[in-house]
Amino acid sequence: MPLVSSVIPMTNKNILLIDDEETIQAVVQVGIEIEAGWQVAIASSGFIGIDLAQQQQPDVILLDVMMPGMDGIETLSQLKNNEKTSSIPVIFLTAKAQANEKNQFQSLGVVDVITKPFNSMTLASQIAKILGWEI
Amino acid sequence: MAGVKKTTTKKSFFKAVFKHSTVAIAILDNQDRIVEINSAACKLFGKSKSKLIGKSIGKFLMSPLNWQHPQATGQIEIKQLKGEPKTVEYSQVRELQPKHNLLMLRDTTDFQRQAAAELDLYYQRVELFAEVTLKIRQSLQLQEILQTAVTEVQQILQADRVLIYQVFANGTGMLIKEALLPDFKSILGMKFPEEVFPADYRQLYTRGRVRAISDVRAKDAGLAECLIEFLDEWMVKAKLVVPILQNFKSPNSKSQTDGEHLWGLLIAHQCQAPREWTEFEQELMQQLADQIGIALSQAELLENLEEVVAERTAKLRQEINERIKAEAALRHSEEQLRLIANGLPVLIAYVDCQQHYRFNNQAYQTWLGLAPSQIRDRHLAMVHGQDEYQQISQYVTTALKGETVTYERDLVLQDSCVHSLSVTYIPHIQAQNTVQGFFALTSDISDLKAIERMKDEFISVVSHELRTPLTSIHSSLKILATGKLGSLSSQGERMLKIADEQTERLVHLVNNVLDLQRIQSGKITMNKQGCQAKDLMVETVQTMKTFSQDRGIKLSFKPSKFVVWADRDYIIQTLTNLVSNAIKFSPSNSSIILSAEIDSQHNYDSKNKSISYVTFAVQDRGQGIPQDRLETIFERFQEVDSSDSRKKGGTGLGLAICRQIVEGHGGQIWAESCLEKGSTFYFTLPELI
Repeated sequence: MPLVSSVIPMTNKNILLIDDEETIQAVVQVGIEIEAGWQVAIASSGFIGIDLAQQQQPDVILLDVMMPGMDGIETLSQLKNNEKTSSIPVIFLTAKAQANEKNQFQSLGVVDVITKPFNSMTLASQIAKILGWEI
Repeated sequence: MAGVKKTTTKKSFFKAVFKHSTVAIAILDNQDRIVEINSAACKLFGKSKSKLIGKSIGKFLMSPLNWQHPQATGQIEIKQLKGEPKTVEYSQVRELQPKHNLLMLRDTTDFQRQAAAELDLYYQRVELFAEVTLKIRQSLQLQEILQTAVTEVQQILQADRVLIYQVFANGTGMLIKEALLPDFKSILGMKFPEEVFPADYRQLYTRGRVRAISDVRAKDAGLAECLIEFLDEWMVKAKLVVPILQNFKSPNSKSQTDGEHLWGLLIAHQCQAPREWTEFEQELMQQLADQIGIALSQAELLENLEEVVAERTAKLRQEINERIKAEAALRHSEEQLRLIANGLPVLIAYVDCQQHYRFNNQAYQTWLGLAPSQIRDRHLAMVHGQDEYQQISQYVTTALKGETVTYERDLVLQDSCVHSLSVTYIPHIQAQNTVQGFFALTSDISDLKAIERMKDEFISVVSHELRTPLTSIHSSLKILATGKLGSLSSQGERMLKIADEQTERLVHLVNNVLDLQRIQSGKITMNKQGCQAKDLMVETVQTMKTFSQDRGIKLSFKPSKFVVWADRDYIIQTLTNLVSNAIKFSPSNSSIILSAEIDSQHNYDSKNKSISYVTFAVQDRGQGIPQDRLETIFERFQEVDSSDSRKKGGTGLGLAICRQIVEGHGGQIWAESCLEKGSTFYFTLPELI
C-alpha cells in the first residue's frame, strides 16, 4: 500500500530495495514514490530479498552492500546465479564506493553504484538515467 | 903615449874588477886548463890559486864544459871535499881572447836559501792568517768574533794593546773590545764624541786608509799635540789603525746607499817603545779587519735570520697551539656526535662511493645484531646479503649520483618481528660536485604505520557510519521540503531550509574527508588515459552550470586542442572544486573563465625524457586572496577566512584534495591573486604526445 496516495504514477515500475536500515527503507520508499510514483518493495536482508525477487520479478533491485549476515556481494552472487533473478538489473547502494571499487562492483555484474549519502528525492531520476527509462 | 896610458889604465881597472869581483872568474885555455883565476873562484873551489893554476877545470866539476856555442849560461855542479856537490850558475864565453875562454861562476846557494826562507815565512803567514780567520769564523756570535779578533791580533803582533772602536751613525764611537797585556791600563768602554773622529777622518778610513805610526812623537807622524797628550795618558808609543768596513745592507738598515761603510777601527798600540810596523803586520791587520767586516755582515744576516726564525717559530707555535685546540675541539665534537649518534633510536651510517660502510652507530648492533667489526669497511652486499642488496641497490645508485632518496621497506629485525623502516640516503657532495659517499638514516616507522592504518580505518568506519544516517536525514528533509507530506509554517520552512543546507554541508565534509584520506594513503589508483582538455572543461561547465546561473555568474571556457594524460573523474573533481570555489567568492554578474594552454617550458622526467605540461586555469573576478595566504590555502582547513566555510558552505578540504589529485598526476597547483580584482588558480598536467 503506497504511503502517499496523492502521487500520480508515471511509467509504473516495481522496485525492490534490499537494505537492513529501516530509515533508509523509509526514505527510499517515500522518496521514489513521491518523485516517480513507483512501487517500492522492501526486504531487510539478503535472504528475504532473493525470495521477493523470485516472487515479484521487480524491474530493478537496489541492493545495500554492507548488511549483517549475507552481505550485498553474496546476495548479488546468488541473484546472478539464480535463473529466475539473473536478468534483473541490480544497482548497489553503498557508503564505500569509490572510483576503483565502483569498477570492481561493476565487474561482479551490477549495473551501477549509487553512493551514500544520496538524496532519495532524486533517486528515481538517477535510476531512470542508469537504466535508460523515461520518467 | 896617451893611448898607451889609456890602455894601461883600463887594464889595471879590469884587473881590479877581476880581483875584487864577488863573481868567480877563471880564464881557461883550449884544454880547459886554468890560466888565470880570481880570489872569488878560489874561495868557491876551496883551494889556493897556486893549486888551481894549470889544473883542468873539469877535475872540479861534476860534468864537462860544453864550448859548442860562443856564449852559454846555465847551472853546473861543483865537487865539494865533503858533502853534496854545490850548484852554481855559470856563464861562459868562448874565445874571449884567441885560444882563451872565459868562465864565470856565481854561488846562488845563499840566494836560494834566502828565497826559501822568505817562502817559508810567507807560508807561515798564510797559515797564521788562515788559523786566525778560522777562529774568527768558528763563531757566529758577533761579540765572540770581535773578542777573538782582538785577542789573536794581540798575540800575533805581540802588541801591548789591541782595540776595536765602533763608529756609530751619529759619528760618536766607543771602544767595545780590548786585548791587553797585564801591565797596561784598560780603556775598554771609553766613549768618544764626534769631534775626536770627525767626518773627514771617517771618509778617509772608509776609502781604506791604514795608519801605521811607529812613533807618535815623531814629527812625520803628524799628530797634534793634544792628541799626543791624549795618547800619553794610555802610554801609547806607536799605533797601527785599520778600518773595519762592512759591505752589507741589512733589510732593517736605514742607509739609503749600498756599498761599504765604516763600521769601526781595529787598533794596535805599542806602549813599551816606538815600533816599526812591518808590511806584513799592516797587511795582517787589514786582512783581519776585512774578516771582521765579513763576520759582521754574516752576524747581521744571522741576526735577521734569527729574528725571522724566531718570528716564524712563534707563529708556528701559535699555529700548533691553535691546531691542537682545534683538534681537541674536533675530538670533543666527534665524541659528542658519536654519543648522540649512538643514543638515537635510528640507524646512522656512512657509506663511501665504493659502497663500503665507514661508520655505523650502536643501533646496528641492537637492531640487526651486527657488531661494528661485521660492518665497518665491508661492502653493502656483504653486510646485507645479495637478495636485500638487489632491492636497495637502485636507491644506492641514486644517492651516489648526488640525489637524496627516501624509501620504505619491511625488514625482520633482531626481535624476529617485521618492522616498517623508512630509509633516507643523503649524498655527501664535496668540491667540484664529486660524491664521496652518502649518509644512510634508517628509522623504524612501524608505530607510525600502525597509527596510519588505525586512522584510515577509523576515518573509513566513521565516514561509512555517518553516511547511512546522513542519507536518511538528508532524504527526509528533501521529502519534507516537497510539501507532499503536509505544509509547514514559514518559520518551519526556514528551519527546514537551514537543516537541509547544513546536512548538505555535512555530506560534503564526509565525502571530502574520505576522499582526502584515500588519496593520501595511496589506496586509490588513478586510471590515467588520454583526455581532451576541452572535454574536461565542457563537463565541468555543464556540472556547475545550474550553480553558477543561480548565483548570476557567467561560466565559460576557452577552446583548447591539447590532450592530457589524466584520470578523467579526478580531474573533473579538481576543476569542479576550483570552479565551485570561484563561484562562491565571485560577485553576481561577473564571469569565470576556464582555459588550458601548453606550457612553453620543457621539463624532464627521471629517465631524462622531455615532458610538456598543459596548464589549466580557472580565472574569477572575486574578492581575491592575500599574498601571504596563497600557499597555505592548499593545506587542510586553511581557508582565507575561517568564517568562509560557514558562510559559503565549504569544508576546508577542497583545495587540499585538488593538490593531492594534481600531484598524483605529477603536476603542480598554485594560485595568483590581486585583492578586489580576482584570483586565478592554475594546475598542470602532463601532455599526451
